Amino acid sequence: MKRNFIIFVISLVMLVSLALTGWAEGGGTLRVSFAWPTYIDPAVGSDFSSSCSFVNLYDTLVYPDTKGDPLPHVATAWEASKDGLTWTFHLRNDVKFHDGTPLTADDVKFSMDRLTTIGEGYAFLFIGRVANTEVVDKYTVRFHLAKPFGPFLSTLYRLYILNKKLVEANIKKPGPYGDMGDYGKGYLVDHDAGSGPYMVKEFRVEEELDMVKNPNYWLPIDPNAPEQVRFIGTTEPATIRTMMSRRELEISDQWQPQEALKALDQIKGVDIAAFSPGTEFYLMINTRKPPTDDIHFRRAMAWATDYETVVKHIFPGAIQARGPVPQSLPGADPNVFQFHRDLAKAREELAKSKYANELDKYPVEFHWIAEVPDEEKVALSFMANMADIGINVKVVKVPWMSVVDEMAQEETSPNIVSVFDSSHYPEAGSLLESRYHSSSAATWEQNEWLLDKTLDGMIEDAIATIDRTERFAKYAKIQEYIVNLCPTIFLFEQVEKHAYQAAYVDWPVAQGQVNPVMGYNMAARFIKVYPDKRQELLGG
Amino acid sequence: MSILKFLGKRLVFSIFVLFGLSLLIFTISRVLPGDPVRMALGPRAPEWAVENMRAQMHLDKPLYAQYYYWLTEALHGDLGQSLFTRRPVVQDIKEFLPATLELALFAGVIMAFFGILLGAVAGRYSNTWIDNSVRIFSYVGVVTPSFVFAILFLLLFGYILRWFPTAGRLSPGIARPPVITGMVTLDSLLTGHFATLGNALWHMVLPAVSLALGGMAQEARITRSTISDNLRKDYIASAKGFGVPERLVTLKYLLKPSLIPTVSILGLDFASLLGNAFLVELIFNWPGFSRYGINAMLRKDLNAVAAVVMVLGVVFIIVNILVDLVVAWLDPRIRLGAERGK
Repeated sequence: MKRNFIIFVISLVMLVSLALTGWAEGGGTLRVSFAWPTYIDPAVGSDFSSSCSFVNLYDTLVYPDTKGDPLPHVATAWEASKDGLTWTFHLRNDVKFHDGTPLTADDVKFSMDRLTTIGEGYAFLFIGRVANTEVVDKYTVRFHLAKPFGPFLSTLYRLYILNKKLVEANIKKPGPYGDMGDYGKGYLVDHDAGSGPYMVKEFRVEEELDMVKNPNYWLPIDPNAPEQVRFIGTTEPATIRTMMSRRELEISDQWQPQEALKALDQIKGVDIAAFSPGTEFYLMINTRKPPTDDIHFRRAMAWATDYETVVKHIFPGAIQARGPVPQSLPGADPNVFQFHRDLAKAREELAKSKYANELDKYPVEFHWIAEVPDEEKVALSFMANMADIGINVKVVKVPWMSVVDEMAQEETSPNIVSVFDSSHYPEAGSLLESRYHSSSAATWEQNEWLLDKTLDGMIEDAIATIDRTERFAKYAKIQEYIVNLCPTIFLFEQVEKHAYQAAYVDWPVAQGQVNPVMGYNMAARFIKVYPDKRQELLGG
Repeated sequence: MSILKFLGKRLVFSIFVLFGLSLLIFTISRVLPGDPVRMALGPRAPEWAVENMRAQMHLDKPLYAQYYYWLTEALHGDLGQSLFTRRPVVQDIKEFLPATLELALFAGVIMAFFGILLGAVAGRYSNTWIDNSVRIFSYVGVVTPSFVFAILFLLLFGYILRWFPTAGRLSPGIARPPVITGMVTLDSLLTGHFATLGNALWHMVLPAVSLALGGMAQEARITRSTISDNLRKDYIASAKGFGVPERLVTLKYLLKPSLIPTVSILGLDFASLLGNAFLVELIFNWPGFSRYGINAMLRKDLNAVAAVVMVLGVVFIIVNILVDLVVAWLDPRIRLGAERGK
């Protein structure tokens, strides 16, 4: 009995000591927490974590700078035809995929065809716009557009180039895509087929994506860039706080509540990086339903709204929005009219409304998204603001899926819905089209039901304009036009906040070098990690 | 023979239960508001892509036809594709179920061993300070949800004392064993990866104990109550009067019959761990089946929801049958009653 006990204790000690080996993760590792799921197939994912993965695993023809302007990347040069219908790109001849296969024009065509055939992920940027892709020669590729599209270059930040040979070798047949079987979707669930600065080491779906530096990357990578990158699927505040304090996490996700961020900021060596990602919070007003169908009524609400309380107390750090386009987005008009709280002007506008004398008969129904608890505070603040001018607001909490169903029809769309929205590609035209063009009515992106043919024409004309300066001037006019219609209360621009290990991580974002294209701020090759400084913090 | 007949009856009955369960969960998951395919593909996916996927999943067919397709494929071992992991649901289950089973097994062992031990000691020494301490522990354990323990342990042993790892099943840099059962501890043991075994056990401590405490308190309460009741029974007094050794009286005549209600509850508690572990899995970033199930429900991942519910149904049935067998072994009245009835 005693002998058995001794054996048990010795075994336990051995197991513990073995367990502790390998505990300390080597330096040069960047660990970031994310809300899952994430996809590493560029024809499937389009959310934040997927976009961050793509930027590290794949290359694109052009690369956005911090203003959202395109820089040469895999394409060294390009030209557009005068009518804007043909775009030709000249590729580098020294880019190789992770398995050593050279990247050629064939791969670019394959990637575009695959994306638009599958129709998921970022395919919506190209479907209906790219008529076909032509391989001119081994290192020249040409896109033929169905109609002129000025911001085409900006959409190419989302065309991630796949290794055609590798994907084709892993196609499973039969599948939903005819001769192409499953088009390699099964393989790309947990493998990459890219040429990017990092490669998949292991992807445990719903848990963690582990990447290692590509030793043969065609661009120089700073020696202090992380050797390994781990994207971890958790956003639980207690877990994040513990991991940050143990230096087991370098950058936190953007979903930490204010209280958690405050606690994280207290940890030695941890700072909060805040930047505007180009997301705006809108109170979308139904312009076809009484009483919000009256422009004076809408303007009265815009004047009565207390923007300052929202940006100071409900979403601290946020900035009041100016018009329909976030100011960090290329093409935003910095001079467009901005409302502020002025009760005298609100009452003056309300008096002009046809509902002025029967306000009690027309309550305004405000639907907020149940999954975003802070929106309730906005709704209640708005209700109190409107009570100041005699407007009765009925606040309703609605699950997101029900909101989407409601907004699918004009009759069921409520007077106001509060929604966060961002651009599909880094230009004002993207938001103007997805928010206010008639084609977006009946989707969750437009509760306004403007159905304004003049506005549609202006938007179509602007995004068909190839010259950037001319296009941006047209965007400015559209923004002014929309603000005059007052179909929306442009409440604030969201500020994305991440806790990060400032003591041993250099993150360009924290120094103000913010890329306006979603995902590009997590390009690990630009982030520097110093293991020695980390060790100092750990006390060894 | 009677046990076999009993098992046969239970199995036939189980088939009807599973059929009913499948019908119920299938209908409920499909009539909830919201379009699951649109949710999965995103609001900006073109309508034809959404329609294609609906057709692939037979969602363009009437409900009864959808059920027919689902049942036929399920009987062939195909539970369909997950809308969110984009993999066959069977593959997801193979990956996530062993992780939770492993956790639940460890939690179950802790729950059973310490629960019965504490209950037995408290019952044997009822109305002493030992009994009072166990009762306080039991009250606290029963009323505190497992996620509260999880957060407390995470902050105390992970954040402040740093004795235990706080996330995942293994530390980075630790080689995973070849997959045999999917349970890292068992696979490590079977393949001789002892460093991995130690590391996996080390990762298991906090989540398993967090999960086990509630059940442990429950088992302790029940065991204590039945033991202190049985202690006052005549047969115990007679056994003592006949001079049967104290140890034999306690272990054979007192503890064994006292375990019957404990075992019944233990079985249900164990099966419930699989479904209720999600918050603990979330806190310790444990890639388990329970977390997968909750995510599937939140994302309206139809095939995954149906599969998760069916798997849980099967686990409950198996555990209930096992509990019945153990109880029959513990209680000769049930065993003999079944034999007489044959």
